Amino acid sequence: MSQRRVAITGLGIISPYGGDLPDFFARLLAGQSAVHFLLTEDIPRPLAIPFVSCHGFDANEALGRPLAGMMDRFAQLGTAAAFNAWADAGLSRGELAKDETESRDDWGVAWGTALGGTLAYEKGYRELWQKGRERISPISVLLGMNNAANAHISIQLGLGGVSMSHTVACASSAIALGEAFRRVRSGEATVMLTGGSDAPQAYGVARAWEALRVMASGDANTSPQACRPFSADRTGLVLGEGGAALVLEDWAHAVARGATIHGEMVGYGTSCDHSHLVRPEAAGQVRALNAALADAGLAPEDVDYVNAHGTATAEGDPVEISALKMVFGEHAARLAVSASKSMHGHQLGAAGAIEAIVTILALREQAIPPTAHLNTLDPACAGVDHVTSGRYNQPLRAALSNSFAFGGSNAVLAFRAPA
Amino acid sequence: MENIGFQLKSGPMDSLELIRDFLKDHLGLDPEKVTSAVELADIGVDSLMMLELMFEFEDKYGITLSNDLKSPKTVGEMVTLMDQLRSEQS
Repeated sequence: MSQRRVAITGLGIISPYGGDLPDFFARLLAGQSAVHFLLTEDIPRPLAIPFVSCHGFDANEALGRPLAGMMDRFAQLGTAAAFNAWADAGLSRGELAKDETESRDDWGVAWGTALGGTLAYEKGYRELWQKGRERISPISVLLGMNNAANAHISIQLGLGGVSMSHTVACASSAIALGEAFRRVRSGEATVMLTGGSDAPQAYGVARAWEALRVMASGDANTSPQACRPFSADRTGLVLGEGGAALVLEDWAHAVARGATIHGEMVGYGTSCDHSHLVRPEAAGQVRALNAALADAGLAPEDVDYVNAHGTATAEGDPVEISALKMVFGEHAARLAVSASKSMHGHQLGAAGAIEAIVTILALREQAIPPTAHLNTLDPACAGVDHVTSGRYNQPLRAALSNSFAFGGSNAVLAFRAPA
Repeated sequence: MENIGFQLKSGPMDSLELIRDFLKDHLGLDPEKVTSAVELADIGVDSLMMLELMFEFEDKYGITLSNDLKSPKTVGEMVTLMDQLRSEQS
């Protein structure tokens, strides 16, 4: 069976800046940070960390109280992002609109989340162990399960095909996008709603990340500049909550219904370092990058931009640049690279989807958002064209988005500008 | 600030009032329309929401509902059942 082309016809995000998708991208281009200082009231030791919150997101308003009440925060963020993407694609929710007659039995959902409903579980633990209660909410299981977001999305959008969740740490939603892409390209699905969401502000989760000593330091004044990928003075990553969704669609189907096509997804490569749980290996990342290029039919010279995984950890950043230099060779010096996490933070299982959207918008708008706060380039991260301020009017043809996870799982997504 | 320690039971609230408050919060229902003869299923209380509603009674009144308790059909049946359990367990 010949392979189909895969159109990106819907984009949706819950922006940490509070606005819509164009506003989100404009702020990234301007180098504006969404990072703030999170200070909780937990006793005896509050959380006091740089963090990215979706302050303006009201789940009851976005989803309605009955639906929002059946969801943990991660599923709320995800479902709301999915609704935005679906609306952007011009598709009707639930029951088919009067002028639609085709079956949605092969339309599916592939979702990424690293943590699932961790806030629901933490609430239950507090009830049981802190407050001494004997019972917790009867919907705790449904709030906490990792497939809650994709289940709700399938139900709400009326999609009868596969509904699956992918938990691959920081590569969760990149893997979800890749698996969705393959289903559309092979003809197994006509449309796939894909993306990811996470809400890692659970006390125990944040403390666990702190214990790994990979979190950026920052206070009320310095938190907005806390995440500094590739900079010699970087101190680590900044966690954040978020949700992002994309509609991937059979190209011919999208054209036939007159959909707006934001770009084309052309490749997906995966690999595992198979060496260490947290120390990344360039060799593994190289395999994923090469696999994505081969899958997309792209030569290294065809790629103009890479949205880096770039978390601002001491070990991760130089390894990623090393992998890019190995794959792109002489072209690496001309390869524009930026880490948008410097501004929107690291949404764990949602990061891959958020950065895929950033990459697609870069191609569509022919503009590259920067790595913010790259004060002094770490010599170990040199060798590519680091983008340190927003670039406009760039002739971008194809771009990659990297996601490299704890556990050594790597995922690289390839996109082309809309034809 | 997180309240550490045992949750205080709320003040007296009758069972109908609790059901009305719950349904207003969860389904946006007008309390005036939640009357004794209304069937819970007809106003959107499915099996999951029934569990939540029962949990609300346990939580607010400090009573324990057995796992094999038969679900009431109407608002009135629920009020009667909960009043009976509150009386027995007070």
